[in-house]
Amino acid sequence: MNVAYSENSDTDRAAHIWRYTPWKKAHPTGKISQIPTAEPPVISLSMSDGSEVPAGIRVEEATKDDLARLGHDLDFGDGTAAPTFIAEIAPQIHVLRVDAKTTAKSPVILSVKTTGSTCACRLLIDICERVEIELITVLEGDAEWFGFLREGAFGQASIVNDVVVHVTGNRLLRCDSICSNRDAQIRAGTVNAASSQAKVDVRHWLPEPGASLQVNGSILASRKDHLDSHVEILHSGKQTFSRLEWHTAASGESVTTGTGMLRIDAGAKGGDAGQLFHNLLLSDKAKANSIPELEVMESEVVGCGHGTANGPLDEYQMFYLNARGFDEEQARAALIAAFLNAPLSNMGSESLHGWLINRIESHLSGL
Amino acid sequence: MTDEARAAVGDYKVGWHDPENATIRFDFGLSEQVVRDISALKNEPEWMTEIRVKAFHHFEKRPMPTWGNMHLLEEIDFDKVCYYLRSSDATEKNWEDVPEDIRNTFDRLGIPEAEQKWLSGVTAQYESEAVYHSIREDLEEQGVIFLDMDSGLREYEGIVKEYFGSVVPYSDNKFSALNTAVWSGGSFIYVPSGVHVEMPVQAYFRINAKNMGQFERTLIIADEGSSIHYVEGCTAPTYSTDSLHSAVVELIALPGAHIRYSTVQNWSNNVYNLVTKRGIAHDNATIEWVDGNIGSKLTMKYPAVILKGEGAHAEVISVAYSGEGQHQDAGAKIHHLASNTTSKILSKSISKDGGRGSYRGMVTVSPKAENCKVNVVCDALLLDEESRSDTYPTMEVGNSGARCEHEASVSKVSDDQLFYLMSRGHTEEEALALIVNGFFEPFTRELPMEYAVELNQLMALEMEGSIG
Repeated sequence: MNVAYSENSDTDRAAHIWRYTPWKKAHPTGKISQIPTAEPPVISLSMSDGSEVPAGIRVEEATKDDLARLGHDLDFGDGTAAPTFIAEIAPQIHVLRVDAKTTAKSPVILSVKTTGSTCACRLLIDICERVEIELITVLEGDAEWFGFLREGAFGQASIVNDVVVHVTGNRLLRCDSICSNRDAQIRAGTVNAASSQAKVDVRHWLPEPGASLQVNGSILASRKDHLDSHVEILHSGKQTFSRLEWHTAASGESVTTGTGMLRIDAGAKGGDAGQLFHNLLLSDKAKANSIPELEVMESEVVGCGHGTANGPLDEYQMFYLNARGFDEEQARAALIAAFLNAPLSNMGSESLHGWLINRIESHLSGL
Repeated sequence: MTDEARAAVGDYKVGWHDPENATIRFDFGLSEQVVRDISALKNEPEWMTEIRVKAFHHFEKRPMPTWGNMHLLEEIDFDKVCYYLRSSDATEKNWEDVPEDIRNTFDRLGIPEAEQKWLSGVTAQYESEAVYHSIREDLEEQGVIFLDMDSGLREYEGIVKEYFGSVVPYSDNKFSALNTAVWSGGSFIYVPSGVHVEMPVQAYFRINAKNMGQFERTLIIADEGSSIHYVEGCTAPTYSTDSLHSAVVELIALPGAHIRYSTVQNWSNNVYNLVTKRGIAHDNATIEWVDGNIGSKLTMKYPAVILKGEGAHAEVISVAYSGEGQHQDAGAKIHHLASNTTSKILSKSISKDGGRGSYRGMVTVSPKAENCKVNVVCDALLLDEESRSDTYPTMEVGNSGARCEHEASVSKVSDDQLFYLMSRGHTEEEALALIVNGFFEPFTRELPMEYAVELNQLMALEMEGSIG
């Protein structure tokens, strides 16, 4: 049972999570006491190579048992307003079920197509043990505002490359609360290609020993986009590993924010965690904010660190490409593509990478 | 090594207290009347009284911070603090004229000896007022002004009126409002254009009484092309009840000037140390904060620099040690407002016996500030399983030409390092102390030698009993 929105709607502006995008701005109407009616999205499954979706993978309406088993309490601390709000307005709850030991040879595409003006979706993730799949969740459609909440777990010893691609053109509020169970090997990616305003709050829990998580972000911001991403990775199991690499390219008058929290709980011995935020500023009016946070309560860690770097395109790299026949525009485009491609290439296999490049290529020209 | 350290610094060697011989002591609690009484006692100009009263009302209205260690902050009972206590009737220029019990205190702290050997000037503050003050004659002849703040206001009212609150207004935060309302003591320094003060000047702050509030106010103005190094030290007795230290420091480095402000804070573990320190650096000026936090129950201190002039530079080097029951919430803030400005932050912390060390920092680059460079490095060592380390850095970059880097790491003492030192004859405890001193070395090398030696001895003592 998740906590109630009404008890968490009054947010604290001093909290980092609301510093750059106050809850009022992320709320569909701006009136935080309002609970608007939302339409459900159209959800469908396909394979990236056009083949049949394997029998062990399906999307269904969630049962009460599913919610009890897979639903989280949605206590996001200072950020609780967002997930509880989506949970409250989502007209349906779906579950993505992947049976134990299911494998897929090509990436599975989960299309979530918004409908109406205000749209909301609550999706439970039920990926069982020893699954080996690549999953691309595509958020698309023309709704003015879309709230997307994912909760659930990656099962024991599963190997999952899980990428969420934002190609909705308007406002997006996305919250994830996902557990990676014992010995799971997860690569979690986020690609923002088109949302004009996105507030993303992703929480990964590593409660069991041996889990390994790589979080990659590739964020394109142009025009007057306002993109605010928060990634929290919580190590409470022993011998857990995580890496976060978040690349943002900002042009026009866009404002981008990347905040992260790495927490190593007391008892999470052998934890190994690192996070990196890179921001590429491409215009005089673009702005990049970053707050990479660490809270370490265990001394027996392999290592725990974070870093952030902001800068323009490297003059020496530009010169190098110019000297080899690229004109200014071509050199600039090549360097931006390379910058955004670094996390993309870490998100999964070559076929997943190729699919992502095809899907977002048209948006790169907007930078 | 540890025995020598014990002999040298004792068990919080500065934790004794003298009998209270107050000439004036205000009742506990704060009201507008208390604020007006402090101002009247000091015979201040009316504009200062008005600022104090406005600040008091702002303090009353302003809520406590909703971030940081709110649990400890909520324990502060502002009604159980003495806001003014005077133990001496005047600020003396000769140690012999200082009341004997107070003079003995500063003798035990080694201040007169340090003054003779390596300082250009000294201010010694005991409770709310400066009790001793001196400056080398040659500096005075060059026009250097080094006074306690109350004397500065009396003798140079025009300068104080121009700059007081210009860097840290009373409305900045709850504790700057409190300080502005009840400030007493502190240092006032003016260095004329082109004058370089070669040896450091020092202020020493001592709280002696129980439940005491110390609210000194320091204002340093370095005129064009001048330089000064100001060193401050702080100690207090160990009591079972809490004391409050809430200072405000304002630095103004005019074009080409250089100010270095070094602090070794060794308050006892019953002192709340909630301090606002900020400087403004004009064209090609440099401001450096060298900040060591060893003592206190809760420290919240984020030395800041506003890089207002083109080519200005800021550096903050800080270390923090958090032992049992301590939370050192320290950091730095740098605001790049002008082009070609550069800044560097190096923060190191050690947490032990359940202590908590937090780095909280902010760097902003304004859209008009071209070609700025920022480098932030935070390292933390956790020495046991009960301790905790946090890092909360914020970077807001509004100019595409800025190059900003931040990196942080949290680790434990390496087994390889311990093994290496122990294989060369050190005990495990000695090896740990050496590693810790090495970890703090980037900070200690920036201190005057006497301070660096003292700090190393203190750390050796703190490391005692770390093994086993």
